[in-house]
Amino acid sequence: MIQKKICMVGAFATGKTSLVERFVKSIYSNIYHTTVGVKIDKKLVKFGEQELNLILWDIHGEDEFQKVRMSYLRGSSGYFLVVDGSRRYTLETAFSLQQRVEDAIGEVPFILILNKADLIDESEIDDAAMAELSQKNWTVIKGSAKTGLGVEEAFGTLAKKMLEA
Amino acid sequence: MTDSSTSDIFNGASNNNHLPTQEEDVLAALRTLLFNPEQIETSEQQTGEKNTSPNLEEDVLEQLRTLIFSPDDAQVDNVQQQSSQKNPAANPDEDVLGELRSLLVGDDYQKLTKLQERLDDPKLYAADLSQVLAEAIILRSLQDQQLAKALVPSIEEAIKVSVRKDFKILANALFPVMGPAIRKAIASALNVMMQSLNQTLNHSFSPQSFKWRLEARQTGKSFAEVVLLRTLLYRVEQVFLIHKETGLLLQHVVAKAVTTQDGDLVSAMLTAIKDFVHDSFHVHQSDTLETLHFGELTIWIEEGPQAILAGVIRGNAPQEVRAVFHDAIESIHLEQSNILHSFDGNTTPFEACRPYLEGCLLVQFEVKEPKPKNQKLIIGSVLGAILIAVGPWLFLYIRDQQRWANYLEKLNAERGIVVVSADKRHGKFFISGLRDPLAADPLMLISSANLSPAQVTSRWENYLSEAPKFVETRTKQVLQPPQSVSLKVDNNAILYATGYASAEWIAESKKLVQLIPGVNKVYLNIVDTDLRELESAKKKIENYEVHFLNGTQLLPSQDSKIQSLVKEIQKLSNSAQSINKGIRIQIVGHTDAGGSENANITLSQARAQKVLSMFVSQGLKATNFTTQGVGSREPLPDNLSKQGKIFNRRVSFKVFLTDTLNRKSDQR
Repeated sequence: MIQKKICMVGAFATGKTSLVERFVKSIYSNIYHTTVGVKIDKKLVKFGEQELNLILWDIHGEDEFQKVRMSYLRGSSGYFLVVDGSRRYTLETAFSLQQRVEDAIGEVPFILILNKADLIDESEIDDAAMAELSQKNWTVIKGSAKTGLGVEEAFGTLAKKMLEA
Repeated sequence: MTDSSTSDIFNGASNNNHLPTQEEDVLAALRTLLFNPEQIETSEQQTGEKNTSPNLEEDVLEQLRTLIFSPDDAQVDNVQQQSSQKNPAANPDEDVLGELRSLLVGDDYQKLTKLQERLDDPKLYAADLSQVLAEAIILRSLQDQQLAKALVPSIEEAIKVSVRKDFKILANALFPVMGPAIRKAIASALNVMMQSLNQTLNHSFSPQSFKWRLEARQTGKSFAEVVLLRTLLYRVEQVFLIHKETGLLLQHVVAKAVTTQDGDLVSAMLTAIKDFVHDSFHVHQSDTLETLHFGELTIWIEEGPQAILAGVIRGNAPQEVRAVFHDAIESIHLEQSNILHSFDGNTTPFEACRPYLEGCLLVQFEVKEPKPKNQKLIIGSVLGAILIAVGPWLFLYIRDQQRWANYLEKLNAERGIVVVSADKRHGKFFISGLRDPLAADPLMLISSANLSPAQVTSRWENYLSEAPKFVETRTKQVLQPPQSVSLKVDNNAILYATGYASAEWIAESKKLVQLIPGVNKVYLNIVDTDLRELESAKKKIENYEVHFLNGTQLLPSQDSKIQSLVKEIQKLSNSAQSINKGIRIQIVGHTDAGGSENANITLSQARAQKVLSMFVSQGLKATNFTTQGVGSREPLPDNLSKQGKIFNRRVSFKVFLTDTLNRKSDQR
């Protein structure tokens, strides 16, 4: 049995917990719960014969009062940078977080999820932002915890990346 | 250089009887001069020519050596010395010298040169040294301590540098060694503490301590150990082996019948908590979270360099459990060091660690007992405990004693039983004595005294009691009296017999009673039943009266009366005969009061005769009868009325029983 630790990082209220809930339990709730500290879930994914046990560390969101503790990321084989597509600044937060995470644990596979893709009308990710993203050459997946869009894809892609790493 | 000395040298060099040619001789002599000057000095001493050809020859030889073996140095020297000294061998052709060299030392010179090069080249020299360094160190260490002493400063410095650079390396290396060493030290310190605790506790006194002391003695543990052990109650319910960096669960064991959460999540969360504590309180890098308390649950965390072991404990576990945890994590690190280092998420190899984790699933139960609150209570409880301990035995002992006494009392009260000795040995009762066969059964008395017959060993000898009760019973057994007879023996052993019995029984009893032990005197007051029957039959006959009309003419109804009378007389006669009695019946004739008395006497006589003749005619023997005429001298009360006169004209009967043999009735 192969186990891997994955962290969810991002600004607060970007939908990290909802993405995990959607991925692990296939449910979505409109009620907002703020995560204090860290929440842990797990999901068994299969790639053919290979079973992979993902231990998901859903870390509290970052805001001006609380920085993400890098110690939680120690030992991660990969992570998600979660961005709320309807709030531009969460992308900035993701950029800075990515830098800090890389400083703390080194280069490991990660995926940026542009969450809340269902809120198309409210999208604040303009072309400039997209250009900035494509410049970084990161893996970016549009997703929605609400509709389930891109969720399986995101986790599957990261799992594959980790196994290949 | 002299001949004598040369010949000496030759002699010395030709030990192996080798006969040299001329050239070789010269070369050998030159070799000796150049390489072994000491031999020449020795020969000089022998010839007694000390210091005759000293420094000059030596200098020449030295120069020659230099020219041959260090040509560069020699040339410099020669330039310096040219003016002052005449040297026969100055500035020779290099070729000549080369030839001389090869003549003198041959291949050896090449070897020497190579050796020199090796010594001069540090790389080659180091490589050579490395070949023998280990052996050299070993050899030197065997000789003395100098090497160790010499190395101390360097090693100290090396350690300092290593720690400054990264203390973890040294810490990780020492981890498997440090643990046992520290624990050993602590254990010995604890031992001392235990001993002092022992002394303190030795003076304490409680029922529980008494029990624990007993346990300590039985188990060979120290008293303090037992006390500590007994006050603890815990169970290690789960043990997690967690990869330190990733927080991933490597292995998880659970005690039986314990419900658990998902081990993966617990493991990760535990790591998160550890990280959280670490970050939040700015503790020292090397400090770790060791214990988590939650209600009666405790989580003990033992940390190794790469993995941590977390035990979930319900209750209050002693420190020795932590030692077990520590041993486990150490052993895991020792055995799985490589896998831990290269851990990439594959937990399968850690199956091998399961036995270590299972070894940590310890459990200890407490025996709950109420604790005495003060001294009085303690003493009370001690007495109570003693009472409880010996109570049942004491109760049984007292009860048995009481029952035994009760039994003896009963035996003594019983007539016909004499207890001679009564004893108790080894929890069993022994009794011996005399017993009348007619007395109560002592075994029955055992049961009635609630003793078990198995508890009592009895020995009874038969004897005859003179108690009136027994004499009476015995008499009854011997005489077998009919129900109409009552026998009584009074306290003076006098037998009173009253009632009715057959003459035969009476006669037999009179003989037997003499043989009955315990009977002093006999008073018999027994009516012979046979006689009694005769008597009643006699009375019956005497009640008969035969009535007459006139003269000797019977009243018409009297014939049947005569008939029944005859039957009665026959019966009586038979009965009397059976007991050897005879009968005589007097037939008395009566008249009424009318007429003269003489005539009446005659008439009454005639009436008696008449009845007699009727009896005889019925078959009765006349000899049994007498007749008498009494006239009117024995009238019935009413002799005046007509009816009264009729009744007085009669015949009455008197019956007499007679002894035909010498038999006497006691009644008379």
